[in-house]
Amino acid sequence: MPPKLDIQQGTLALMILRTLDVLGPLHGYGVARRIEETSGNRLALNYGTLYPALVKLEQQGFVTAEWRPSDNNRRAKYYALTPAGRKQLARETREWNQTADLIAAFLAPRPEAS
Amino acid sequence: MSMLREVVARLAGTLRGHPADPELDEEFRSHLEMETAEYVRRGMAPEEARRQALIASGGVTPAAEAVRDQRGLPWVESIAADLRYALRALRRSPGFTTVVILTLALGIGANTAIFSVVRGVLLKPLPHRDGDRLVYLRQSTDGPAGEDIAFSVPEIRDIRTGVRSFEGVAEYSPWTVTLQEREGATHLDAGLVSGNFFKVMGLSPVLGRVTQPDDDGSGVPPVMVLTHEFWMKHFSGDPGIVGRKVMLDGEPVTVIGVMQQAPFFPARVDVLLNMVISPHHVSATMVEGRTHRMTQMLARLAPGATVEQARAEVTATYARMQQDHTDAYDPGSHYRMTVLPFKQALGEHARLTLMLLMGAAVFVLIISAANVVNLTLMRGLRRGHELVLRAALGAGVLRLRRLLLVENLLLTLAGSVLGILLAFGGTGLLRSLAARYSTRASDVRLDLVVLAFTLGLAVAIALLLSFAASLPKEGRFAALIAAGAQRVAGGLRSQRLQRALVVAQVAVSVMLLAGAGLLTRTMIRLSTVDTGLRTEQVLTIPLALINPAQLSAGGPNIMALDAEAKQRYEEIRRELRALPGVIEVGVGSTMPLRASDIRLDVKAEGRPLQPGQAMPQGDYRTASPEYFRAAGIPILKGREFQSTDRAGAGRVVVINQTMANQLFHGEDPIGKRIAWTGDVLRFTPFSGDWRTVIGVVANTQDGGPEAEPRAVAFMPFDQELTVFGGLVVRAESNVEGLTAAATRIVRRLAPGVPLENVLTVSQIRSEGVAPKRLNAVLVSLFGLLAVLIAAVGIGGVLAFSVGARTGEIGIRMSLGADAGRVHRMILREGGVLVVLGLVLGIGGAWFAAQFIRGLLFGVAPHDPVTFGGVALLMAAIGVGACWIPALRAARIDPAITMRSA
Repeated sequence: MPPKLDIQQGTLALMILRTLDVLGPLHGYGVARRIEETSGNRLALNYGTLYPALVKLEQQGFVTAEWRPSDNNRRAKYYALTPAGRKQLARETREWNQTADLIAAFLAPRPEAS
Repeated sequence: MSMLREVVARLAGTLRGHPADPELDEEFRSHLEMETAEYVRRGMAPEEARRQALIASGGVTPAAEAVRDQRGLPWVESIAADLRYALRALRRSPGFTTVVILTLALGIGANTAIFSVVRGVLLKPLPHRDGDRLVYLRQSTDGPAGEDIAFSVPEIRDIRTGVRSFEGVAEYSPWTVTLQEREGATHLDAGLVSGNFFKVMGLSPVLGRVTQPDDDGSGVPPVMVLTHEFWMKHFSGDPGIVGRKVMLDGEPVTVIGVMQQAPFFPARVDVLLNMVISPHHVSATMVEGRTHRMTQMLARLAPGATVEQARAEVTATYARMQQDHTDAYDPGSHYRMTVLPFKQALGEHARLTLMLLMGAAVFVLIISAANVVNLTLMRGLRRGHELVLRAALGAGVLRLRRLLLVENLLLTLAGSVLGILLAFGGTGLLRSLAARYSTRASDVRLDLVVLAFTLGLAVAIALLLSFAASLPKEGRFAALIAAGAQRVAGGLRSQRLQRALVVAQVAVSVMLLAGAGLLTRTMIRLSTVDTGLRTEQVLTIPLALINPAQLSAGGPNIMALDAEAKQRYEEIRRELRALPGVIEVGVGSTMPLRASDIRLDVKAEGRPLQPGQAMPQGDYRTASPEYFRAAGIPILKGREFQSTDRAGAGRVVVINQTMANQLFHGEDPIGKRIAWTGDVLRFTPFSGDWRTVIGVVANTQDGGPEAEPRAVAFMPFDQELTVFGGLVVRAESNVEGLTAAATRIVRRLAPGVPLENVLTVSQIRSEGVAPKRLNAVLVSLFGLLAVLIAAVGIGGVLAFSVGARTGEIGIRMSLGADAGRVHRMILREGGVLVVLGLVLGIGGAWFAAQFIRGLLFGVAPHDPVTFGGVALLMAAIGVGACWIPALRAARIDPAITMRSA
């Protein structure tokens, strides 16, 4: 098993939003599973990390929550992206890409001396 | 946006508190079950699957806490816990809490109320556009009534052309008009203004328009702008008022607009008119007469110009004016011009009084804060062991400090709330006080800035209180706990602090008492000033049958009007004389103890002015033969007027003692001749004929008890034009009871003439003392408050010291000290503090008294009687406050204390 990583500040919200965007409305467990799988199990989300983040997104108006029966007839709380959440996702994705490019450029192997 | 939503949601979450959250539990449960099911699906045994799922959850309880923290605002909640704790602690010592809150409420309330006045009158920005660019110009000379002699139109013209630093110069003449309506006549204070007035002053209409330069001159219709205050008061804010015609002094005038709210200077006004309403103001005599000074001058600084530049230019221009017109500025009178920022001019009469009151209020606050610190220190000792316990349970110094701060904030905020309520009650009183000194009094209110000031005060005191209590350094708790210490505060340092505070309280109390003593003596001096006349049982009825506009217009018409008015005065006089109990009724231009508005240059026959001597001036008054008897003005020499001193007979005059001394230097003036003189006679209806002095009357204190003696000349009422006018009624007893009957007679015989200020001479007299009385009462109140709080402080500190030393005193007594000795010992302990405070306080008062010199009358700032009395009083109170704890110490039973020790 690869070593577990800590989740970087601010990236969890982006991951949750992206997950909900791709998979549609989903419960907390589903979100956690998806993030863990996507990370190749390098990330592990415990409740204390996941749920406050969900509550915060709800407070910010980026997601809504609703109780619904789940696949196997249990009740579960489903989180869904709001239009504001979709916009936020686009914005954060753009910003993250820019940062990533920038950092990548910085860390790129040094070109021949100029 | 999203952040705001989060904050609102969390705030709502905080307010909801911490209900059990079954929904979260269920969500966690469903998560757990799904995860367990997944593990089972992958082939784990159910037991093991559940265990793994639980491990992965990372702990359900901390997760719930984390969610809860996200839902609410954790720091608010921990402060809320402190708050609950502090409330409980304060409720446990209700005596302490009550005393502290009350003391603070008094201190904070006094400061809030007086700060609201200081802000309204002195600090608040003016409502005028760029109000800090406005300046007020003043021309003064030596002598009474010389402080502000106003300007003539040619003088204003010179300033307007000569001073480049002014963007605009506006003219403003105080004037009075009578508004005639169906409901009756109203006397209005008006301002005659130049067309550029509103533009220069930066004032806009809230309704209609204001005057413009094309409203200047003589060929234009008269128009009127209402002040906001008058519009609301008289027309109930009727928006349909614009365009309406009203009758002013018998002439139709169009209301063109309502002005925004703004303070006026030097006096408040009801309406503003263009000059044309007074034919005199647009006549050649007014426009050309350099000594015809009736107009106030206000100017706006040009962009970039400073007050200093303007002042320099004004000085240069004024010097040129004096060179070019030597006849208009006699050197002996010391003509001078000052340039004041308008805001400063508006507050100049209030400044000293307000500073005095603000200082007194701050002193009271210092004393109350010192008292609270003392109480807190003592309480800190008692709860020392509690703090140790809390430290043992893991609270750091920071946390303890915060707890103290929350507790003190609770106290000071409670004190502020109570104080603000007090201030609300006091603001009305203070507003009427401020109205005596400034036209900005209506700006006095408890607005947000004032409340912020109060809040700042409360927080500052709370911080002070929290840091006065000494807590040991972080890390020393462990040592203390290990040593089994029961208290952390206290010790020598805090005792020394307590004593220093008592000394400070006594010192500040002494300063306040000294101020109160000086002001009270001022008030007593003022109210016992000899007015020069018999003030009892005299009613005054000011009644102007001819208005100033008619008078200054002059012309042939005026003689007929004058004859008619004289006849009407005589009718009223006869009817008043017939009222039961009336001894005498006189008619005259000006009421007793009021200063005449007419002041003219005067000369004595055969006595030319010495070079460098100031031009003598006198108040112009008229009086009927009965006037002196009715007003109770003693005749010192010669005779009063007789019915034979009528129109056509030889011109005669009665002068007062001051004028006799000024013109005749101790020689007998009877039979000598005097005359009004000066350029200004050309523009006024007063004649410069020689008049024979037939009598000398005593000086009276015209214009207030503090006023300098004024030279006065009385002319026979029948020989002069009727100016102003009024009746003076002397009765045998209960003259107030005559007011209603007298008013009825006047209203019947002079309908349509405004009647106000019907006052007894005693009332006029106390009017002059009232502001000083209020000063004295307020500062005395503060002084008493301070002494009371200080006495509680001394007594409390000593009682505490006795309590802490019970064991020691017990030992002393068992070793042979008797009760008297112990009593003296404790008294000495307190006495040292009182004496120290007294010495410091007297020194401080000695220093501070010079600043209130301008508010004193008849008392030296270092009046030994006041200072001695204050020292004695404070010493007596101090000893009294020490007496009870000393007595308690002397009653200590050594047997009991030794046993319990």
